[in-house]
Amino acid sequence: MLAKYVARRILASIVVVLGVTLITLILMDRTRGAYVPGIDFNPSLRPEDVARLRADLGLDRPFYVWYLSWIWGVLHGDFGHSMIDGSTVTSHILDRLPNTLELTVTAILIGMVFAIPVGVIGALRRGSKTDHALTVVSVAGFAVPQFWMGLMLILIFSVTLEQHGLPWLPSSGAFSPFNGGDILDRLQHLILPATVLSFFYVSTWSRFIRSSMLEVLSQDYIRTARAKGMSERRVVYLHGLRNALIPLITLVGLELPGLVSGGLVVEVVFGWPGIGKLAFERAIQYDYSTVMGVTFFAALLVIAGNLIADVLYGVLDPRIRFG
Amino acid sequence: MIGPSRVAELEMPAAGIETAGSRPAQSYWNESWERLRANRIGMAAGTLILVMAVIAVMAPLFSLVLTHYQPQTINLLETFAKPGAGHLLGSDELGRDTLTRLIWGARVSLGVAFLTVAMSLTLGTTLGMVAGYYGGWIDDVLMRLVDTVLAIPAIFLFILMSILFRPNAFTLAAIIASVGWGTVARLVRGEVLSVKQRDFIVATRSIGARDSRLMVRHLLPNVLPVLIVAASLGVGQIILVEAALDFLGLGIQPPTPSWGNMLTNAQSYFFRSGWLVALPGITIFITVLASNLFGNAIRDAFDPRLKS
Repeated sequence: MLAKYVARRILASIVVVLGVTLITLILMDRTRGAYVPGIDFNPSLRPEDVARLRADLGLDRPFYVWYLSWIWGVLHGDFGHSMIDGSTVTSHILDRLPNTLELTVTAILIGMVFAIPVGVIGALRRGSKTDHALTVVSVAGFAVPQFWMGLMLILIFSVTLEQHGLPWLPSSGAFSPFNGGDILDRLQHLILPATVLSFFYVSTWSRFIRSSMLEVLSQDYIRTARAKGMSERRVVYLHGLRNALIPLITLVGLELPGLVSGGLVVEVVFGWPGIGKLAFERAIQYDYSTVMGVTFFAALLVIAGNLIADVLYGVLDPRIRFG
Repeated sequence: MIGPSRVAELEMPAAGIETAGSRPAQSYWNESWERLRANRIGMAAGTLILVMAVIAVMAPLFSLVLTHYQPQTINLLETFAKPGAGHLLGSDELGRDTLTRLIWGARVSLGVAFLTVAMSLTLGTTLGMVAGYYGGWIDDVLMRLVDTVLAIPAIFLFILMSILFRPNAFTLAAIIASVGWGTVARLVRGEVLSVKQRDFIVATRSIGARDSRLMVRHLLPNVLPVLIVAASLGVGQIILVEAALDFLGLGIQPPTPSWGNMLTNAQSYFFRSGWLVALPGITIFITVLASNLFGNAIRDAFDPRLKS
């Protein structure tokens, strides 16, 4: 049953991945104009040189021919070479992936560590002052522009602290190239961007946990557990929280694609050398092959995230049937 | 707060009950409006949005009467002014008045947000309704299209499309709506799937109503509450997306002021004027907060089942 369901979903995803990459390529092809990626408008280049470079990159052919040869490459595990610097797209992605993972995984962990208690407290003390205060904070969290929060943190914790001669936090990059690169140095660089990203996670997830906790606590089996004299602590944590956390699995699963695009703005603000920043810079420069590679990777993550979330959901909650 | 007695009233079937002392039967819209009016925070947030919209529309008037500056007037003798008598909220690196630029920026942010909502609702509702109503291969094709659109990292689409269409308020709205319609279509399709099973639809069809009539006169009004809720909850998110695109240099281009592009050069203001970094962000924050609170109030009023 499950295997059949997964197989059908994967088949449907192939169509989606083809669609995503094709739309991306058509958009790039339509918008590029006469620009050839990788070369500046250099007056000493003769028209025949430009034509030769175009031919080398395969840009003299219609986009669908380029697309078919790209697909052929992908089927053989070859994502091609960057049109800007000539190194392989795979090496670019593998180069940036650890940085992005470092940032997002940290943010997701911080997010869960704060969101779960906040949500549970909100549900247990429903309607109290604490609950209202937590609600206000999380509603506010939805309304803060991420890039602005990043800028303000830099303004406060890097610029102002340094001006007053106090210990300050680095404002950009993942490590200092000249002194360090050790774990302490990386942690210092991680604090600000991870704070911005996790703030958003906490506001979203804590709301979900609160309402799912409320729903679970009103179920009959909770009443039964209380009726047979089980301690409140055991009721809440053993029976309540375990079931209330199931929806969180879906939410975290849906964050998988955020690995590439969700952190993009934060990566740009903090100069974090991750995949989002790579994609942003290369899209502006029309590096076809890199953009296609990252898009392909991102689409895979979207699909995998959805699928993993659905399957895990079913495994954790046997009432759900796969149809 | 709704007490137990009112909850009981709400759950009573509206028609055919005329016991003494009960309220007269009210239409769905009247009831929703009553619920909305009782929500003080929601009404305050709605009023704030309305005031901002009025200010945005009358921006030229405010330039003349209140601030006495035009948004694009450069004055290199008064750069990085602190908030005070001359410039109420200070001035930027070219000596342009910040308050004036924020007021004109409201036109962009609110204008794009409303346009985007209108576009994604129109497209999403039409396609969602067609998919849900006809089902079969039409449904399959349209829903795979939705999957595809929602699987592209939106930011890539925005980057490429903002190069294709030189961004102004209208094209920027179209760009954001080109992703936004997907979620609306999914929502409407789901709603249509459940509504079309009900008896009145079968009855209407049996007396020979055409598909188009059935969809416009009978399905649409039943989908409307979901749409109103989706629209009011979407505005805040769109303002955030638009501001981020402007900030990245992919949206409204300078010298036209927008809340996002006023922050594009923020990193070079850090040592001169913290105000220039803080103010546009605070404006975005307040506007989005108000839209979200109003959106929540609308959801609670129009669709009490969803109340969290």
